This record gives sequence, structure tokens and C-alpha cells, in this order.
Amino acid sequence: MSNQVTLLSAVLLFPGGLFALLFGLALKGADRRVAARLQGRVGPPLMQPLFDLVKLGFKRTMVPSTTASETVFLGAPLVGVVSMLIAAALVPISGVYSPDPMLGNLLVLLYLLMVPGIVLMVAGSASGSPYGAIGFSREMALMLAYEGPLVLVVAAVALRTGWSEGHVISFSLTEIVRHQQVHGAFLFDPVMWPAVAAFVFFYPANLGIVPFDIPEAETEVLEGPLLEYSGPALGLFKIMSALKAVVVLGLGIALFMPLAPSGVLGLAVWLVEMLVLMLVGVTVVRVSVGRMRIDQAFAFFLKWPLLFAAASLAVVVVV
Amino acid sequence: MNIISDLKKVATKSPWLYRINGGSCNGCDVELATTACIPRYDVERLGCQYCGSPRHADIVLITGPLTAHVKDAVLRLWEEIPEPKVTVAVGVCPISGGIFRESYAVCAPIDQYLPVDVNIPGCPPRPQAIIEGIAKAIEIWREKL
Repeated sequence: MSNQVTLLSAVLLFPGGLFALLFGLALKGADRRVAARLQGRVGPPLMQPLFDLVKLGFKRTMVPSTTASETVFLGAPLVGVVSMLIAAALVPISGVYSPDPMLGNLLVLLYLLMVPGIVLMVAGSASGSPYGAIGFSREMALMLAYEGPLVLVVAAVALRTGWSEGHVISFSLTEIVRHQQVHGAFLFDPVMWPAVAAFVFFYPANLGIVPFDIPEAETEVLEGPLLEYSGPALGLFKIMSALKAVVVLGLGIALFMPLAPSGVLGLAVWLVEMLVLMLVGVTVVRVSVGRMRIDQAFAFFLKWPLLFAAASLAVVVVV
Repeated sequence: MNIISDLKKVATKSPWLYRINGGSCNGCDVELATTACIPRYDVERLGCQYCGSPRHADIVLITGPLTAHVKDAVLRLWEEIPEPKVTVAVGVCPISGGIFRESYAVCAPIDQYLPVDVNIPGCPPRPQAIIEGIAKAIEIWREKL
């Protein structure tokens, strides 16, 4: 019974649910504010994404007459939010929280990470809008491109941990974190550097920011899959993307840099690391480059990140 | 009830803008897009954000004298914007037709067809005037919410 209560609070309060949501919104706000500063503007308040959410709660949800299925149209964002809530509870915070094996392991997290992309594809095609359909096809192409490197990166980390721990492969996030706490972080292990590089390319694409925001490009396809959403339904998508930011960045920290003191200090270190990852990997990139075309992005991911990830896997197997 | 009114106060910090070009000469659109609204005077401080989709909009900025050619499209687009919304007419054209008034191809004034909440006259209006207009629109929006 108490186990179920712990699981529930991990999904709904900490580190998933409320905590992840508020922190994800703050990350997005910091991103917008720092982007504004880099462009010589003042920028919005830090909690602007939270204000946006409250506002969306007061708006009316409209269902377009062209929609294929109202249930799918309104159900898609719910599926996305729930998957990200569970994923957020799966991400370990070193020294503070390690996920219950009951909830799942790294493989479950990999599958859950694919859900938001699929939800966007379903939402775009269910809306019946031609822009949604274009967003759908672009999202699918981009997912095909970036999922490959991610799987290889995860495999490299899992193999490296598994072999040093005495079995072949380890998909337990708790074990990966514990291994690095004993043997040093993978970030400082030259064998793992190609995997780190591949992950650095992967996460902007997964978060859908500028060089890779091709499926939702406002100036081309008017936010693609999100075009027909309004009010609370759009708010659910915003919640999903805020949670996803926490999950993806948290996964990066767990895979490569989970060194921190325990307790409150450990949590503070984790929060700062997340913020640095967001500002360096997302904000600075976003304000410095333009958007790629979908064919360019596809070719880019099949060239460099895939090469790095494959090289990393090969080195791990050989060494 | 108190919590609801507090939340409404928070909600008005996030007005999303949507531009409709009703056959304008683009003068006002340039003022909106490049001068008043994003880089130089930075209305993002007020929480404003341009959105690509009419379904996300809160404050609608209409420019142009509403030419006969685009009238139906503009009216339909306006219907697509979810309530509560505030309509702002930017430039003198939507108010009276401006230099195009009495033309056979122009349907101005625009308030024959849509309830206009704020008028920002000028040809084109100064960025400061546009920002003041948006600030007024936010006040009206707060009451409608």
C-alpha cells in the first residue's frame, strides 16, 4: 500500500507531476528571457509560460468542423501529458531520487519519449487541416532521423555500465547512476565522448527548437499540428512540452553527469545543471541559427549524430 | 470567487496577438511586425506574442480598408478566433477607408461588420500609439474575460 502511495506521489508531485511542471515552465521562461536579452530586448517575466497556461484555461476550446474524429482530436493531448507525467517520474535525480523498478527502466523511458512526437502526428492529422498534415509528415521524418542516434547512445551507455558491472547490458537507470557515482561520470570518459556529442545534437531536435522546429514552424506551416487547437486543449500541449523539457534534459544528466551530493544540495546542483543545459544547448543555439529544411535536417541527423552514436557504440564494444 | 479574479488578473499578462491584413498597403503591417511589436519596443515585456494561428489569438489587429476582395475571408477568419477576444483596428484605413475612402473596391469602415474595441488612427500610426492601443486592448480584455 505504501509502495503505491510512493509511486503515485512520484508521478503526481515529485519529481514528476507538479514539481516537473513548474520547473519545466520556469526553464521555458528562462529560455525566453535569456533569448530576449541576447537579442537586446527586455523579455517577458520568468513565469510567463505559467501566465500563458492560466490564460489558455479561460479560453474556449473549438473543435474544427473538418476534424476526422473529435475523440482523437481532444484525446491526443491527454495521452501526451500522461505519458510525460510517467516519464518524469522515471528520471533519476542523483542523491535525491531514484525511480522505483516497478515503474520501469530505461527502455520504458525511451518508448515514453516517443509518445509526444506520435501525439503531435495524431493531433495534426486528426485536425483535418492541411497544415496539420504537413506538420504530421515533417514530424514523422524528423523522428525517424533522431530516434536512431538516441537508441544507439542509450545502448552505448547501457553496454558500458553492464560490462563493468559484470553482466552484458544494464537498462536500469538506478544502476547507471550508481555506476557513475563509483567509477566517475561518463562525461569525463573519452570512450563516451562521441555519445555525448550525439546526445547534444539530439535534444534540441526532440524539444522542437529552432534549427529543428520544422514540424511546428510558425512562419511556414503556422505551428502545424497545433494550428487548430485552442484554449485548454492547447494548454495541455504546453504542459506536455514543459514536462518533456525536464524529461529529456534529466535523461541527459542521468546518462552522462549524475554526480551530486545528496539532499537539498544535490537537488540544487541538479536544477543548475538542467538550467545550464537548457540555456547553452537550446537558447544560444536558437537565437544564433535559422531553421533547417526538413531534408537538410534529415540528412544532418543521418550523417553526424548517427556517425557519432555508432562510433561510440563500436568503441564501447571494442574497449 | 477571489481566486478566479486573481487568476483572471494573471491571465491578462498573456495576450497573444494575431494580425489580419484586410487589404492594407502594408505600411501598418510593417509598423506592427518590425517596429512596434517585436524587436525595438519589445511588447513581449507585456507577455505579448505573435501567434501563427487564429485559434491561439486573444487580441486581433486588423489593418487595411477591408477591400471587397478579402472581406469574406477576413470576416470568416475573425469568426475562427475563440472568445474572449478584443479587436483592434490599426491605421486610419479600417476606421474610415483613409486614402482609399469612397472607392468602389473598399468596404470600410470596418465597424459595420465587426465590433471594433480600440481604434489606433494614423497613416501609419506611430509605434508608441500602437503599444498604447494594445495596452488599452488588454484592459478591455480583462473585463471581457
